[in-house]
Amino acid sequence: MDIIVIAIIIVILFSLGSALVGMLRGGKKGSDKMFKSLRARISLSVFLFVFLMFASFMGWIEPNNVLPTQ
Amino acid sequence: MSNQNYYIPHGTYWPVIGSIGISTTFVGLANLMHDVSWGAPVMGLGLTILVFMLFGWLGTVVNESISGTYNKQVDRTFRWGMSWFIFSEVMFFAAFFGALFYARILSVPWLGGADNNIFTPELWEGFKATWPLVNTPGDIGQGGTAFSTNFKLVDAWGLPAINTALLLSSGVTITYAHHALRKGHRNALIAWMIATIALGVLFLGFQITEYGHAYHDGLKLTSGIYGSTFYLLTGFHGFHVTVGAIMLTVILYRIQKGHFNSENHFAFEGVAWYWHFVDVVWLGLFVFVYWI
Repeated sequence: MDIIVIAIIIVILFSLGSALVGMLRGGKKGSDKMFKSLRARISLSVFLFVFLMFASFMGWIEPNNVLPTQ
Repeated sequence: MSNQNYYIPHGTYWPVIGSIGISTTFVGLANLMHDVSWGAPVMGLGLTILVFMLFGWLGTVVNESISGTYNKQVDRTFRWGMSWFIFSEVMFFAAFFGALFYARILSVPWLGGADNNIFTPELWEGFKATWPLVNTPGDIGQGGTAFSTNFKLVDAWGLPAINTALLLSSGVTITYAHHALRKGHRNALIAWMIATIALGVLFLGFQITEYGHAYHDGLKLTSGIYGSTFYLLTGFHGFHVTVGAIMLTVILYRIQKGHFNSENHFAFEGVAWYWHFVDVVWLGLFVFVYWI
């Protein structure tokens, strides 16, 4: 399950990087690329958050919320 | 600006004022750390000079931009300037995430005898390689712990999840603001910008509350590698949200002044990208600190 979460994060980072390239290029084309990449970035991030909630609800993933040694 | 090849800036006193501000700030800070009585006021004076410089210098740049002084070459230099700033930010957070990964994946297991470190446990008898690291090697001989064992991480579905939802929502609202700007919908743009700033401020409020809980439960900056990486990462992230919210407020002010149009709005693009970056850093923190 960790692999899926990390894979989504890598795609999010890629979208953010792609938006940066668009911003640096400038002009109409660059601006369009930037906006589309940022839209993909936020959509994926919201999906990841909802996926984490769902995976936790289904018991596929456990948060690190308790100290392992007491 | 007639020369399309290069832009030669006019003479200005702002860099000198900035240098005076920075020097004064650090003289004040150094003395404050040595408990000298005039340290704090001098540092305050230095910061005031810095803020004055920022208003003055950036105000000059804005006025030059809207009066049409800049050409395409200047536009490129702004974009490159932003890219170097972003590069430094990425390296900054990469170093802190690197410290977290190094401690969790390599150094703490090594102290517990992982890989070829079979004799290490002989040095610190009773050391347990766990994450969060409750007993640092130095605590073993002292009979203490890095932080109170009563401490429990705030439930991942408590404040951290609320904060993630808030920051992701602000990512959605700034995307709508961006869309509105590109379509020339001014009122929608202003409304989405206000929503983004409000969500950012709300995030900071909840973050302060979470720090209060963590401190109250005994997790401090001095609580071993876990406490220091936790506060270093979340603290600098919070600082970046603060700076981002200030920048968004400035952009909102400039939108109301009519500085941007649907084609020419690089300042907005720079700040929007920065906000998305800060959002992604938080998502990384949420996933790696609370989940994986």
